[in-house]
Amino acid sequence: MKIGLEMHFQLPTRSKLFCSCPTTSAEPNHNICPVCLGYPGSRPSLNRKALEAGLSIARFLDCTIEERVWFSRKTYFYPDLPKNFQITQYESPLGTNGHFDLNGRRIGIWRVHLEEDPGRIKRVGRSGEEIAFVDYNRSGIPLVEIVTAPDLTSPEEARAFIDQLVIELRSLCGLEAQDEQTVRVDANISVGEERVEVKNVQGLRNLEKALKFEAIRQTKLLAAGKKVIRETRRFDEERKVTSSAREKETEEDYGYIGEPDLGEFRIGDMARNLDLKETPLARARRLVSSFGIGEATAKQLVLTSVTLTDLFEELCGHVPPEKAVSWTTGPISGNWAVLQDRARWSDIIQIVKDDAEGQITDNEAKRRILSLAGVQQEAAAEGGDDLAKLISDYVDAHPEVLADYRKNPKAANTVIGHVMKESKGRYSSKEVVEEVKKEMEKRV
Amino acid sequence: MDRETIARVAKVARLNLTEDEMERYAKDLDDILNSFSVLDEAPAGESYSFNPIPVVDVLREDEPAQDLDPQVLRNQMGAYEDYVRGPRLS
Amino acid sequence: MSAVYDLIRYAQLRHRAFTEVVDRLDDGKFHFSAKDNLCADGFQARAGSAVLDGYRPPFDATPIQKMKEVGGQLVGKTTMDEFGFGTFSTNSAHGVPLNPFDLERSCGGSSGGAGAAACLIPGHIALGVSTGGSISGPASFCGVVGLTPTYGRVSRHGLIDYGNSLDKVGLLARSASLIAKHFRTIAGPDPKDPTSCAQPALPEKGKMPRSLAVPKEALQNLDPAVRSSFHDALARFKDIGVEVREVSMPSLRFALPAYYILATSEASTNLARYCGMRFGRREEELNQHFNDFFTGVRSESFGDEAKRRILLGTFCRMVGFRSRYYLKSLAVRQLLIEDYRTIFRDHDAVVTPTMPFVAPRFEDISRMKPLEMYGADVLTVPPNLTGMPHVSLPCAYVQGLPVGMQLVADHWKELDLLEAALAWEKAFEYRFPEVSP
Repeated sequence: MKIGLEMHFQLPTRSKLFCSCPTTSAEPNHNICPVCLGYPGSRPSLNRKALEAGLSIARFLDCTIEERVWFSRKTYFYPDLPKNFQITQYESPLGTNGHFDLNGRRIGIWRVHLEEDPGRIKRVGRSGEEIAFVDYNRSGIPLVEIVTAPDLTSPEEARAFIDQLVIELRSLCGLEAQDEQTVRVDANISVGEERVEVKNVQGLRNLEKALKFEAIRQTKLLAAGKKVIRETRRFDEERKVTSSAREKETEEDYGYIGEPDLGEFRIGDMARNLDLKETPLARARRLVSSFGIGEATAKQLVLTSVTLTDLFEELCGHVPPEKAVSWTTGPISGNWAVLQDRARWSDIIQIVKDDAEGQITDNEAKRRILSLAGVQQEAAAEGGDDLAKLISDYVDAHPEVLADYRKNPKAANTVIGHVMKESKGRYSSKEVVEEVKKEMEKRV
Repeated sequence: MDRETIARVAKVARLNLTEDEMERYAKDLDDILNSFSVLDEAPAGESYSFNPIPVVDVLREDEPAQDLDPQVLRNQMGAYEDYVRGPRLS
Repeated sequence: MSAVYDLIRYAQLRHRAFTEVVDRLDDGKFHFSAKDNLCADGFQARAGSAVLDGYRPPFDATPIQKMKEVGGQLVGKTTMDEFGFGTFSTNSAHGVPLNPFDLERSCGGSSGGAGAAACLIPGHIALGVSTGGSISGPASFCGVVGLTPTYGRVSRHGLIDYGNSLDKVGLLARSASLIAKHFRTIAGPDPKDPTSCAQPALPEKGKMPRSLAVPKEALQNLDPAVRSSFHDALARFKDIGVEVREVSMPSLRFALPAYYILATSEASTNLARYCGMRFGRREEELNQHFNDFFTGVRSESFGDEAKRRILLGTFCRMVGFRSRYYLKSLAVRQLLIEDYRTIFRDHDAVVTPTMPFVAPRFEDISRMKPLEMYGADVLTVPPNLTGMPHVSLPCAYVQGLPVGMQLVADHWKELDLLEAALAWEKAFEYRFPEVSP
């Protein structure tokens, strides 16, 4: 099976891509101006932050970056598109020919480019003859489009790919937290020779469902000796099926031309001068190779906290990595929120060092760490029942988590996050993770 | 220019043409494009740019601002309950 | 009412120079007008098109705002070809302006109303817009001075687009000195138009061109009277110490097709937004499929020439034709810029007649085929395509009708052209029609 994805993420800017309208949420048609409404006489100017964010992504994905890029007009008529053309990039994307490492496998990235979002349409009126109510608040919101090679081999992998990509991009350039739900994806999927495009799927969950449906549909067709027709299909979120998108009445000819109002951008130096942060998963890979710790542990560390991982690396300079792991995923992790504010790193390091050198017992070391966090040992010891109750209360109240968990064990993260927050650091993340897994497995 | 081509161009451009118009515009465009075929002789290279002068790296800082009251724009567009009304999608 | 106001009304009523004028003149302000494709708060901006009926932009175009800031009063909007699509201002939904020298003849286009206003009202400054010759043409036919600045010199914020890589806001008036003064006012970078932010600062003073080049290819197919007037003008330039040399610029023949392809390709995308929603003409019957809705409004509201250019431009950028027409034209533009540069190494300006003939009669225009009309732009298109600044000056009168000549300089050298224009005015006296409102 071959799957390729075309993903659209909103870039984290305060103003729109080509005008100064705010990107915050607002009542319909409140974040609008002549530019994002395409008023005659208005013209665009490019947001520096959006260009920089796009370039960070292109560089992070190890794309080839041309020295010179420009924007293009993609002309098509639709009520949500104020100018009836979209300013996008056609011949000259920000980056091409990059890759992303997904659990050790290299997924090709064909291109990364910037474009403006259209408005949003609400259909109003009697079924079958609804008219459009348009809200142009989203018109001109900056999007980055990332297109992969058809290197993904299953719906689960496609989902994992976006999942991990979002983790990285969020840390790289502050992508919005809800992007797993809002990401808009066009996916190409082929089981046999011919590929089918599933258009405009919103959110990770829907994407996985759409792809699974499509994989089964194509497999059945082929098994029955029938042919898969090359076509565009759309995903019905309610019925959870894909269906052939009735070909548009007019097959659009986008008639791309250059956008003369923006000029061109010499992005080579700008891209080279960007200071790219190390992203969590890339850091986890480095921790594995530098310190020989387990992959799962490394991931858990980087996803828990950047500063905790910093402490881990610092500790590794003083004690063997396995010691650093057991402390940072154990007692320190459980109280990190408080320790981070109150304790001096040198004190923590000293305690761990003393423990590692056998100068104090494990229990004494733990007591000292907890006292740095202001926690009495007695209280900590009592926590056992409390933890199990916190978990089961939450799962009782959120049965959908269990349903999700059956399909994807990652759903447990919601519970872990909740419990970590609620218990305010009384338990280490290791304890919580184990306890949650136990509980979920019990129930499934 | 054949009928099929002019009809396709008109459709892409969202223009409704009568048979007469179709014929007339096809003839005009034919004349025009024939005379423009002189371009094929131009020794121009592959390099091009979209402006006659270099316009390079003109960027705006990411600072939100709205010069015009959006209410004025909504009124102009005849917005109903803040929405701009448009035709049917299907 | 003042004599000036009477003239404005006269220009509006008798010559249809204006689509709209103010009720009265403000004390202590100077009067200027703007072509109807420049947005101004308080006026409609219809750009000669029925599709924009009712469009009242809530903002001022930057050049208008700048004129107001130095004490100008915008007294009216001038008539034009729909979106600038024309050479004779006959493609207008809001009245065809009539030539100040002869009511039966064209003012030129597409800034025809601006040409007429500049001619009829002494001391008046008319903001015009040129894409392929829409300032030079009317200046020539109406016997006034018309300056088209370098592309990107004057902000296009508030200009209703025709071709964004070609459109330039400029000035028409009875004298170069008036234009020189206000050119400084409207020039300069504006963050609302990124393409205006690439310009070098205006120098303190221009340099009088000492050497003019006349491309021999530009002298083909001229009306004989225009040709001999032009040669007289060259002789007069020599008299005032300016060297004139014939040069060859074979690539000139590519300018017209490259221009029309780029202009219509861009225009056909700019005009996509006119669909009966949001601004201008709004269709109220929403119970139609959007394609039918858009198609209906567009077919009813655009004029004949607008449709022709939309079709041509749409075709030139379609898959299968795009590289032969659109991309090739972009490359040809670069070629022409290089060829101009070669000439500017040895010469300060290029000079040609502005139009191949004097203002034609409307009845003759009505018999012209589209391709013939496009051909009338053959001399104004090269500097417009390449973004070179140019000025049209009256240089002779043939049977009472003005003949114009056009000087072209390298990018950003508007002030040199104005020096030449000022020197020319000392050597040649302009005539204006007698007007008694």
